Amino acid sequence: MRQGPRVLKFFLPGLILMYKMEVTAEMENSSQKIPEGVWAKLREKGLSESDIKLSTVADLDFTGNPAEIWVIASDKRLLIIPQKGMHEEFDLQLEKIKKLRIRASIGSAYLQAKIDEFFIDIVRFTNGLRYKFSRFIVQLELLKQGKPVSDEYINEPHPMTCPVCGLPLQTERAVCPRCARQGPILFRVIVLLEPYLHWVIIVLILMFISVGLNLVPPKLTQILVDEVLTTRRHVDWLIWIVVALVSAELTRALINMVVGTLTTSVGTLITFDLRKRLFRKLQELSVDYYDQQSVGTLMTRFSSDVEAFHGFVTQAGQGFLLNLFLIAGIGLMLFFINARLAFYVLIPVPLVMFGTYFFWNRIYPMNFKLWDSQAKISRFLNIVLSGIRVVKAFAQEEKEIRRFESMAANLRDSNRRVGINVAKFNPMMTFLFSTGGLIVWYAGGKAVLENQGFTLGQLMAFLSYTSMFYAPLSQMALMSNWVSSFVTASHRIFEIFDTEPQLKDSPNAIRMPHIKGHIKFEHVTFGYDPYQPIIKDVSFEIEPGQLVGIVGKSGSGKTTLVNLICRFYDVQEGAIYIDGKDIRDISSYDLRRQIGLVLQEPFLFRASIAENILYGRPDATFKEILNASKAANCHDFIMKLPMGYDLYLREHGAGISGGEKQRIGIARALLCDPPILILDEATSSVDTESEKKIQDALAILCKNRTTIVVAHRLSTLKDADKILVVDNGRIVESGNHHQLMEKKGIYYRLVMMQLKLTSIETEVT
Amino acid sequence: MMEQEKIEKPEIVFLDPKKIKIFRGTFETIHVMLEDGSLYRGVFAVAAFPVTQPNKYISLFAYDEKDREFEIGMIEDIEQLPEESKKLIIEALKRQYFSFEILAINSIKFAYGLLFFDVETDKGPKQFSMRWETRYAYDFGGKGKILIDIFEDRYVIRDISKLSRMEQELFTRFIYW
Repeated sequence: MRQGPRVLKFFLPGLILMYKMEVTAEMENSSQKIPEGVWAKLREKGLSESDIKLSTVADLDFTGNPAEIWVIASDKRLLIIPQKGMHEEFDLQLEKIKKLRIRASIGSAYLQAKIDEFFIDIVRFTNGLRYKFSRFIVQLELLKQGKPVSDEYINEPHPMTCPVCGLPLQTERAVCPRCARQGPILFRVIVLLEPYLHWVIIVLILMFISVGLNLVPPKLTQILVDEVLTTRRHVDWLIWIVVALVSAELTRALINMVVGTLTTSVGTLITFDLRKRLFRKLQELSVDYYDQQSVGTLMTRFSSDVEAFHGFVTQAGQGFLLNLFLIAGIGLMLFFINARLAFYVLIPVPLVMFGTYFFWNRIYPMNFKLWDSQAKISRFLNIVLSGIRVVKAFAQEEKEIRRFESMAANLRDSNRRVGINVAKFNPMMTFLFSTGGLIVWYAGGKAVLENQGFTLGQLMAFLSYTSMFYAPLSQMALMSNWVSSFVTASHRIFEIFDTEPQLKDSPNAIRMPHIKGHIKFEHVTFGYDPYQPIIKDVSFEIEPGQLVGIVGKSGSGKTTLVNLICRFYDVQEGAIYIDGKDIRDISSYDLRRQIGLVLQEPFLFRASIAENILYGRPDATFKEILNASKAANCHDFIMKLPMGYDLYLREHGAGISGGEKQRIGIARALLCDPPILILDEATSSVDTESEKKIQDALAILCKNRTTIVVAHRLSTLKDADKILVVDNGRIVESGNHHQLMEKKGIYYRLVMMQLKLTSIETEVT
Repeated sequence: MMEQEKIEKPEIVFLDPKKIKIFRGTFETIHVMLEDGSLYRGVFAVAAFPVTQPNKYISLFAYDEKDREFEIGMIEDIEQLPEESKKLIIEALKRQYFSFEILAINSIKFAYGLLFFDVETDKGPKQFSMRWETRYAYDFGGKGKILIDIFEDRYVIRDISKLSRMEQELFTRFIYW
């Protein structure tokens, strides 16, 4: 465990915004030395240093108390020796251990060994060590086989921590925000502005001129007072001074208009560009990223977070940079007129800086909370409004209203909290600035009265500059609120940009434009949680053009097999081959373009029926659309619709039945003519009549292509070349319908059960 | 037409505390023998309502020959068990559940998209980090919260109102749901 204080500085010219964050970085011990007490016991058991092949340490005893339990393996023995904590010593012969595994309990896990036909708990550890022990098992299996092993493999850093600095990460093997940051966030934002740099330079030049023009009126006022009004030395200058004042104001107004127009245009261009890049990045990310993110949260990133960039450019151009130049220009003028008085003007500045720093620390989590409340409401609305039929069917409207009210109240409180803090901060800062002005009145007034070479005109000019100096400084101080919101938003945007897709094509990915459809699973093991395999040591082979059914109970791993064929996830052990090539080496574009997938609930977009059918092959002709629809058995019902194929479907295809949606999904797959077609429970949620029509469509669809049908209704699979029966992540039976019926195993029982249910249904109807 | 068979309604098997034998086997395992003489080795216990009824409705599980978990049956109330058996079941429950109980919060910081906690627990001082999302901090009973860190270790605050005012303010500034 390592602790490291970290200070992040956000540096902006003229204003330093700094905040300190204590970051506890959890470091996995890269390796641990066996303590002397344990060595002594090992020696007692006749083992020397050269006998020890593997070692690691568990952190809990069986009752859940912190402990230090050593797990040590020699060529022939596995020893458990406690260093701290109550634990029995074990000395097991490796040959008697039939299997090792990790059993997850609630909040911790066990290393278990199968001895005498049942599993025993060997050691217990916190979840943070599960990764290490899963690797220990791999090494121990190798040791049993007499293969070389390594402690380094076991002690590799946990994928939830950065291998370089040990910082905990948000997702496994995510880019470390500390190591990968290309400088502070604001610097990265400026890098984003690069394509618009020429416009930024024009804005800067114009602002420079504008600031110069801002400095003219007080200077002219000084001349007006000292040379025209009090001494009357140059009375004829009055008109020219007024003309100069009007010209300066007018030019400044015109420049501000141009700057405003330019910054708005650049701001909108940047947000447009950012949205495009963000969407492209999201398309690149693997399915597992979406397993960890809610749609509502991502939607908020697209809407308000991206919009914050627009605000940044507008604010930076019209607020921040302008104020910064003003502060610099006016500051110079103040020191030029009277350096002593200028120092008085600076008295409140440290207080302002401290106030800003304090406010920043306070407002940052509040802004995050506000954003989170907004995201929650979006997410909630997205879910509840999509599932409004379920809500109404179960008469849960009142419950949902209450849930919404609670979330809205949360948003109200978060908003109010931010607002109240801003409201407290503003007057405080205004007061601080006014005290500086009063000091100038006193010290400057005294200098004028005592004739210390300081004229009334100079005092008037100085006061004008002072009021001009405080205004931008005040705005700059309040900008911490805006910067805080912006940094929060940009942090979330960069987080997406920094996320690397878990499944990336290798640089030498094999292009396979014409897949034949041969699929082979070789000892495949996979789990969404790597410690809990869903698919366990599965091997099977499918020849090109075969129709293969996958059956099994819910949760047995059928859909996971489909996900692996589509390479939505990578296997943890073993390999999947398509036409003899490892799926991980095939270009994912070629792979997915040649796999047609029809899901239980086909996703129809908010577009016309024709556009939905065309989705996978936008270049198809009208004739091809019609033929695909006819083959998919959906042509007849589409023709009965008032707008035919041009009927614009609403959200998720609302307005047409489940069976009709399914057939449109099949037409979509048929149009792509993929060499591999996967139907994942495609007929399980439709009525019998629709199922018959879909089955007729499928009979055509399956011809001349490898077809994998995941089905609950076994009647669909009578003609399959092969049926794989999946149970608890393993293929337990394999063969055609007749072979499996003769076997009288799980498949037989499932068929019998469905026959019974069908006969009951028939009797009822 | 197939011959009609009676479809039985599945029901929970409640184990009679007087008729089961619970005893310790080799390697600190727990074995259970039912009234009919069937023996289950390497048994583990799971509470159906671990927060509201931690000592009632305790399910006993074992593994079949294919290493699949299956439920042997349920004990309605462990108080009905003989003292020795009760001890073993309590031990089995301790083996099933693990969490750090937070007694005091020293600091919570937000950085790099994560919350960094520095806390005092029933098992000593701990630092952990968690994702700042509702699904990683959920209710524990009516008054507490369970926090899940990035490694899926669990940290329980049984009653937030028992924390000091400053700790509560700090905690609810981040975990406000």
